[in-house]
Amino acid sequence: MAQFDHLAEKVLRGFASRTSRRSLFSVLGGFLAGAAALPLLPVARAAEGGGRSDGESNSGIEAPQFSGNPQDPGDRTKCDYWRYCAIDGSLCSCYGGSVITCPPDTEMSPITWIGTCRNPADERNYIISYNDCCGGVAWGRCACQNNRGDRPLVRPQTNNEITWCFGTKSQSYTCTVAIILGTAIEQK
Amino acid sequence: MMHGAAAQTPGGAATAGAAPAGVGDARRAWQNWTMNCQGCHRVDGTGSAGTAPGLAGTVAKFVRVSGGREYLGRVPGVATSPLSNADLAEVVNWMLWRFDKEHLPSTFQPFTAAEIGQLRTQPLRLEASQMRNDLLRKADESGPP
Repeated sequence: MAQFDHLAEKVLRGFASRTSRRSLFSVLGGFLAGAAALPLLPVARAAEGGGRSDGESNSGIEAPQFSGNPQDPGDRTKCDYWRYCAIDGSLCSCYGGSVITCPPDTEMSPITWIGTCRNPADERNYIISYNDCCGGVAWGRCACQNNRGDRPLVRPQTNNEITWCFGTKSQSYTCTVAIILGTAIEQK
Repeated sequence: MMHGAAAQTPGGAATAGAAPAGVGDARRAWQNWTMNCQGCHRVDGTGSAGTAPGLAGTVAKFVRVSGGREYLGRVPGVATSPLSNADLAEVVNWMLWRFDKEHLPSTFQPFTAAEIGQLRTQPLRLEASQMRNDLLRKADESGPP
C-alpha cells in the first residue's frame, strides 16, 4: 500500500510541476461551459420533451415540417396539425417518415381508421385515412390523441384505439400517417 | 404537397357516366362507403383475410342466386352499419356497381330503404361465412350472367 501511495504522490507532483493553477481552471471551465451547452443539443431536448398529447406543442422534439402550401397549413410534427384531428397514436413525422409515408423498415397497414378533419385554410372537411405503420420500434414519441368521430369499442370499425396493424407482416405498431382521401360533402 | 381532392377521390369515377341504379348521389354513396366500409374492405374492394371478405369481382354474384339478396342485407357489416336505411341501400347499390358490375344482372332491381330496413333486423353472425361460401358456389355453378 505504501508503494501505491508513493507512486500516486509521484504522479501528482509531476502533473503539478508541468501545469499551472490557471490552466487547471481553464480546463475545468471548459468542461463546465460544455455541460451547460449540452441541453441545446437535439438529443437532450428530445429526452426532455417525452410524449405529449391532445394538441400540445411538439416544439423542440423534431424539426418542423411544413408543406409550403398555404392551403395545407401547420407543422406536421405537431399534434395540433389539422389532419391529426382524429388520430390516436404516434406521429410518423417524428420517426423518420412523414404525414403520408411510413418510416424506413416499416410497412403501412392496408386496413385503416377513417375520419374527417376541417382544414382551417378553406374551412372544408376532408376525409382522412389514418394508416398505421407497423414493424418498427415504437418509442412512444410524439404521442397524439385526438378523438374526433371516435366511437366506443363496440363498433370496432369506428374506434381509433385499435391498432390497425392487420394485413401486415408484423402486428407491432410504430406510428400513424394521415392521408387525404378527398373532400367531404357536408352532411345535412 | 396538398393532395388534390379530385385526384384522390374515387367517387369521381362513380359520377362519370350514368349513375348506377338505385344510387341517387354517387358522391354521397362514395363518401358513406369510404367512411364506413373502406377501412376494412380496402379502397379497391379486395378485402382483408379473416375480417372483411373481398367484394371486387364477387359481390354482385350474390344477387344472381336465391338467398343472396337477403345475405347482402343481413351480413354483419351491412346490418350493423350506423347508416340510415336509405343511405345504406344506396351504398349497397353503389358497391355492387363499383366493384362487380360485370356480374350484375341486367334485370337487377336496386335495393330500397324499406328492403334493407327489413333485412337488417336479422343480422347474420357466425353463420355468415358458411352462407357466403354456399351462395358463391351456387353462383359459380349457375354459370355466367
